[in-house]
Amino acid sequence: MSPSTPMSPSTPMIPWTPDEQPPVPGGHRFSRRRFLAGAGGLMGAAAVAGVGGYWLEGHLASHGVTVGSTASASDGPILVVLTLYGGNDGLNTVIPYEDPAYASARGPMAVDPSTVLALRDGFGLHPSLAQFHGLWQQGRLAVVHGVGYPDPNLSHFASMDIWQSASPDGSQPTGWLGRWLDATGEDPLRALAIGPTLPLELSGAKVQGGAVPPPPLQLPGTPAFQQALTALGASAPPVPALQGDVAASGDDLMLLVRQLGPLFDGSGSASPAGGTNLEGGAGGLAIDQGGGGRADGGVLTDQLDMIGTMIKAKVPTKAFAVSFGGFDTHAGQLATQKALLAELDAAVPAFLAFLAGNERPVVVVIHTEFGRRVVANASGGTDHGAANVVLVAGHSVKGGFYGDAPSLTKLDDNGNLQYSTDFRSVYATVLDQAVGVDPGSVLDGRFPTLAFL
Amino acid sequence: MCDGRVDSATANLALLYRRAGFGASAAELRTAGAAGYEATVASWVGGLGQPDPGTSALTPPPLTPFPDDDAAIGGPGSPGRLALQASLRREFPTLVRWWVARMMAAVNPLTEKLPLLLHNQFPTAVSKVQFPSLMLGQNMVFRRAGSGSFGALTLAVAQDPAMLIWLDANTDHRAHPNENFARELFERFTLGIGNYTQADVTAAAACFTGWRFDPAVGGFRFAAADHDPAPQTVLGQAGVNTGEQVIAIATSSPASARWVVSRMWSFLAYPVTPADPVVAGLAPAYQADLDMSGLLRSILLHPQFTAAPSVGGLVKQPVEWVAGTLKALGVSPAAVADGTVPVTTVLAGLGQVPFDPPSVGGWPQNEAWLSTAATLVRWEVAARLVRSPLVDLSAVADASAGDRPDAAATLLSVPSWSSPTANALAQVADDPVELTALALVSPEYVSN
Repeated sequence: MSPSTPMSPSTPMIPWTPDEQPPVPGGHRFSRRRFLAGAGGLMGAAAVAGVGGYWLEGHLASHGVTVGSTASASDGPILVVLTLYGGNDGLNTVIPYEDPAYASARGPMAVDPSTVLALRDGFGLHPSLAQFHGLWQQGRLAVVHGVGYPDPNLSHFASMDIWQSASPDGSQPTGWLGRWLDATGEDPLRALAIGPTLPLELSGAKVQGGAVPPPPLQLPGTPAFQQALTALGASAPPVPALQGDVAASGDDLMLLVRQLGPLFDGSGSASPAGGTNLEGGAGGLAIDQGGGGRADGGVLTDQLDMIGTMIKAKVPTKAFAVSFGGFDTHAGQLATQKALLAELDAAVPAFLAFLAGNERPVVVVIHTEFGRRVVANASGGTDHGAANVVLVAGHSVKGGFYGDAPSLTKLDDNGNLQYSTDFRSVYATVLDQAVGVDPGSVLDGRFPTLAFL
Repeated sequence: MCDGRVDSATANLALLYRRAGFGASAAELRTAGAAGYEATVASWVGGLGQPDPGTSALTPPPLTPFPDDDAAIGGPGSPGRLALQASLRREFPTLVRWWVARMMAAVNPLTEKLPLLLHNQFPTAVSKVQFPSLMLGQNMVFRRAGSGSFGALTLAVAQDPAMLIWLDANTDHRAHPNENFARELFERFTLGIGNYTQADVTAAAACFTGWRFDPAVGGFRFAAADHDPAPQTVLGQAGVNTGEQVIAIATSSPASARWVVSRMWSFLAYPVTPADPVVAGLAPAYQADLDMSGLLRSILLHPQFTAAPSVGGLVKQPVEWVAGTLKALGVSPAAVADGTVPVTTVLAGLGQVPFDPPSVGGWPQNEAWLSTAATLVRWEVAARLVRSPLVDLSAVADASAGDRPDAAATLLSVPSWSSPTANALAQVADDPVELTALALVSPEYVSN
């Protein structure tokens, strides 16, 4: 069986189907038609099901959520955090191609300057990023130079934890958006990740964001089973803490399924199992994933398609998290990064174009755990580095360069770029301008905001 | 079972089977009960590395070997390369099935649990190694060397093809050492963050130059011409210039003892840091000989292993939930090995495919398995599995409606139901199929 195959009470599943490879993507992506159907499907299917409207009022009331409304323009912008796992090489993403130090440090690893998509001030985008270049020309792409934090950690996991917790000293065990959830209510729908596991950034001490699995999003089993599942969710202290967490996850899932299920009924099903990387594309065997971490949400386009469906349906979610991996290019970097950036280029600008004119503007922040070493290694790759660019794209973004580009010759003791903009300034900006919360309530300390929003 | 009629000796044995294995059948608990807890631990640890009567018939599937001349296949995107990759993708699930079937079938369940613990200690993924045959080779190293010295085990894993490919050994050169393996060796495998410096990583990387996976010799080869022989200072020790020395120095250090003990305790009992007092208590004896069998025995016999923070201190990893559930419901390991049960797809939906961890950091623990997305897959699998003709629910079905919750608890090695779960089970007690499905997703069973 596939977890994505719907179980309905009228067709109890008896035989197991033989184990098989998850299908190769391409024929399974969300079509644009799904988006359009999705917009009306939310309300329509809920009404047919006799739920009495989109919101489960009793449940939501118990979660402290405003009842009976979908999102509207007054709810403000929508934040999408896109995390590139493995440490994307910023120097070959926003390329200082006119700086002679670039060519000399990178040697054969330097991108051919004649192929670079020029921005200004001697910088240009990687040739794979043609659609991003279009966003730049429309003034909808901000490049924040030299982003990092003091005493850079060169471990993938430690540095990613620092980024996702916004806590360079490790004192915060929760995610930065998780702390916003903790401070402002209990509804897990306010922050959603795509894929089987929830990233730290959406994990609070009390409240976890929701993790949306690949479609279909439907409760399994008979009505009696579903009823009993609800009773299981009633588990509460004094059961052991982890058992309480199991019950709470079930509770959150009930909410998710009832509210998002009509959007994702499986008729335009995407890849069946987000956790697998066997489905080909950049997430599959064809490309070196490296040792540095991989996102588990599946194909990036599919993840953004699901988010686009939800936004069009006016789901009142404020923040989404998506991820995409394989950037740990210690070897064979040129070909690998070219393919990965091409996938990025095919996904993000189309997502923004699809949502053009949406009453709530969408802001996509693209970051990774660190940049890479300035001088290439002898394996056709680069080792772990420090400061890096952060890209911010979206309908309300004020395009241009922000922060100071780091020197390629005044490096730190490990031969890495030195940061000039603390990454928490990027977070403070989106918390203040997109999420609509006092950054000081989430971040340890005050960080100057930037002007890209 | 809320009345506490499961005695503590049985409850402890059930915990042992859940943590050091994949759950116990009623018959297994009876046999182990007669032998006693300590004797059971002794027999399991003593049986590591020995053939197991339950799994001897489950031989590995045929897998494509790494080609002697990889370049002859063709470059990326060439027809030969694409055909090879397609065939590797097809054969990968057969390897996953093989291991899950063994987890279900082992008489000494520690023979399968230890390789799983070591897989998460040295996380390596087919996504980059590409050849399932090489992942199987590493799994065999865990079986062969996992119960002896951790130093020897680390060296064996480091020189095995899967790790050489995973962390880029073949691509470094003396002029520009590749730091990938040296860093992960310290950070994940042997020491933990805070116990080494970037200078140690740089120095160790120089020592590892020249390590190669050479298909022509079928494995590790030392390429002297690519090796930097200059003496380095690594972890405070001067005059080091071989990878073997680096591994010996790292694994024998006190910091490594705390790290390895904390990792094994976290996998088996509950998450701890290397600074935890329970680690401090176990580390000195382990550091004396780095003997993994001794460490496992000490953990499983530790008074705190069966005490409060440990009981209820873990969530079942997806592979534990899947293998344990299939075993408890009487599914034949052969039906898993032959692909009748789609375990690879199920495990992918739950977020944990053996041989394919998300990164060299391995899999997370506990709360990470409780996302709403994973919970939905768990519900779907439970609701579907109980209706499969492959399962045997007679132990629950044959009980009276009032006794079915207790029967399900026994079937699933759960000591007792909380009152909310008992209430939920009572709602469906007239249907043993629904009741079993509900028990499979209950907080008591999903935790471990």
